[in-house]
Amino acid sequence: MMVTPARSSARLRGASTPAGLPRLIWLHAASRRVPGALVVLAACAGVMRVILASRWIVPGGPGSTQLPAMIEGAVAAVVVVTTYNPFGESESATGRWLPWLRAGTALAVTAAAIGLLSVAVAGAALPGGDLAMIRNTAGAAGLGLLCAGVVGGLLAWIGPLAYTVIAVIGIGERWTSPWTWPARTGLDRGAAICAGLAFGAGMVLIAVRGARNCVSD
Amino acid sequence: MAVLSEITVPRPALRIVPRGLLRIELRRNAMIWMLPVAVALFWWQAYRHVMALPPMWNIRAMSMQNDALLDFAMPVAGAAAWMGWRERRRNVTDLLTSTAKVRWARNLATWAATTCWALGGYVACVAVVYGITARQATWGGPLWWPVIVGAAGIPALSAFGFTAGALLPGRFTTPLVTMAAFFGLGFSSSAASGDHSYLLVSPLIAGSVDVGADPGVATFYRYLPDLSVDQVMFLAGLTIALLGLLGSVTRPASSQSWRLRASTAVLAACGLAASGTAVALAGTAHLDAHGMTVIPALHDTASDQPVPYTPACGGEVPVCLQPAYSAYLPAVTRALEPVLAAVAGLPGAPARLSQVAEVYRQLPGNGILPGGGDGSAGYFTLPPVPGWEGETSADFASQLALNAAVPLVSGVLGIPARGAGSPAQEAVLSGLTRVGAVQGFGAGQGGIKQGLLPQPGSPVALAARRFAALPASAQHAWLLQHISALRSGQVTLAQLPLETGEDRA
Repeated sequence: MMVTPARSSARLRGASTPAGLPRLIWLHAASRRVPGALVVLAACAGVMRVILASRWIVPGGPGSTQLPAMIEGAVAAVVVVTTYNPFGESESATGRWLPWLRAGTALAVTAAAIGLLSVAVAGAALPGGDLAMIRNTAGAAGLGLLCAGVVGGLLAWIGPLAYTVIAVIGIGERWTSPWTWPARTGLDRGAAICAGLAFGAGMVLIAVRGARNCVSD
Repeated sequence: MAVLSEITVPRPALRIVPRGLLRIELRRNAMIWMLPVAVALFWWQAYRHVMALPPMWNIRAMSMQNDALLDFAMPVAGAAAWMGWRERRRNVTDLLTSTAKVRWARNLATWAATTCWALGGYVACVAVVYGITARQATWGGPLWWPVIVGAAGIPALSAFGFTAGALLPGRFTTPLVTMAAFFGLGFSSSAASGDHSYLLVSPLIAGSVDVGADPGVATFYRYLPDLSVDQVMFLAGLTIALLGLLGSVTRPASSQSWRLRASTAVLAACGLAASGTAVALAGTAHLDAHGMTVIPALHDTASDQPVPYTPACGGEVPVCLQPAYSAYLPAVTRALEPVLAAVAGLPGAPARLSQVAEVYRQLPGNGILPGGGDGSAGYFTLPPVPGWEGETSADFASQLALNAAVPLVSGVLGIPARGAGSPAQEAVLSGLTRVGAVQGFGAGQGGIKQGLLPQPGSPVALAARRFAALPASAQHAWLLQHISALRSGQVTLAQLPLETGEDRA
């Protein structure tokens, strides 16, 4: 069936009204592979659960903090690659909802990642506690969002993973800088502020400018 | 006009990876951009760690096997995964299917180019470490097996990343593969034990798990390649299996593709068999007396011969070290010279003190019991040298007194090997070696047997402190005069000499 121009323009107008908003959000999320990301995040949470349940972690050793920090870094990397925009620059001409959609998607996927990890660590002795997990995941995701603004969505994982390597070394060498927040305790205020700043800056950048569109992608 | 049957069509050279394609892939490879990251990680972690270690080939080479491969894991696996799903990412899979080369050959060219860049970076980093070590080390030569294991790990990491990227193309593949490589490799050895452990096949392990890069390993005896050969077999098998898998799951487009698919499946099976064999062999590994890992099926008994060397000696009563340790000779002679001078000429005093190899024994529960010369017969083992695992010069001197001076003097004083000496013997032993009364080591500490040294604050400890305060000439003169009585236990604490002017009461 052919869609008449009048009906097509009505559909487009509908997408920008509150009634069409759920569909718009769904289409935006689908274009960012958010459903796939949720599956991968659930798998990461499962790995976290298995590690905590196994005897792999020696209590009190550096590995007990390094292993969860690595999982949190991987989770953050998955979160930030959802910022990749498959439509390129032309998407920016589609409507006024785009900044809100970008920020909302990043926030929702980060929240889902933290929620899934919280479920995974429930009842297990996570070093640093849940607060450390939330801080580490959000902070690394913030770095990834900043990275997405610079190198593009498909390569945004470089930020969280590079930071994770630095953090793992920092945990082993007992660094005390709040900028290496995974090396600090869960209640550390300085580390929480630094991670919060990273996440806030990443959110602002992704909302205002979005991930960089790279031709080489 | 030539008859059609007479025309000879030149047959293309049988080459799996076309040279021209490889050249293009080398120019257009993500690993070029990841090399600075890998080198920076290497510098930040491996280089700084390895260079802080004592300049001995064994310690630095074995430490580098662990650190360098871990630093390259993420960049290599990440770049390879990124290259692996390039065709899909750029939507050219169908377009490239129409080219002359089969997909597997194209993939191999991309993988080979990625591996070449990574290997180049790895070799350059190793060359820097080895070049500096060659200028600093006092004896021996480079250990190549740890380098070979690391070099075999690079293609395996690359194959892992590339295969995952090619078979599971998607935006989540690269970060997950990158983290999985780092995570899997980094913690692959954490559950390994030194004896009969399959996890010894992890390429991060250079030598026995519990001994590690110990100064006493591979100095008096050659570095045993058993474990390295096993690890290279595992990594090579894994690489072949992954590349074979890449070819065997490609959708066949013709009968030729079917043949290729079957061949690569066989290749994958061979690789798996090699890796499985290596894992099984690792399960038979055990610790030998020289601190290295022996795999019976791969072991060459000719490697068990000691390394010939000319010892480095110094001091009036010669103290001789294995030349790899010659940088520590001044510190050793400085620490032992007073003791050797005090007992010189006494019956049982050695005319020369020589370093011997440590003897390692595996204990239950992943423990290691090092041992060796006890000092009494003129032999001793050197404690961990300064700079190794946080050891300081003060720790070295203290441990040297325990390892060498205490056994040597207790032998001269006639203290039985099993049991305690008389109070006077204990006081003289503690006063001469400055262990116990002066340095604060008590009985049972630092590996000293119970009853050999006085308890801090006891009358024996006070007498030892007084004896230690005597000039060296006075100690020596008194010992020459009273050694027979002291050895037979006939000297009491009250009969020990006092400093000039000190009131015995």
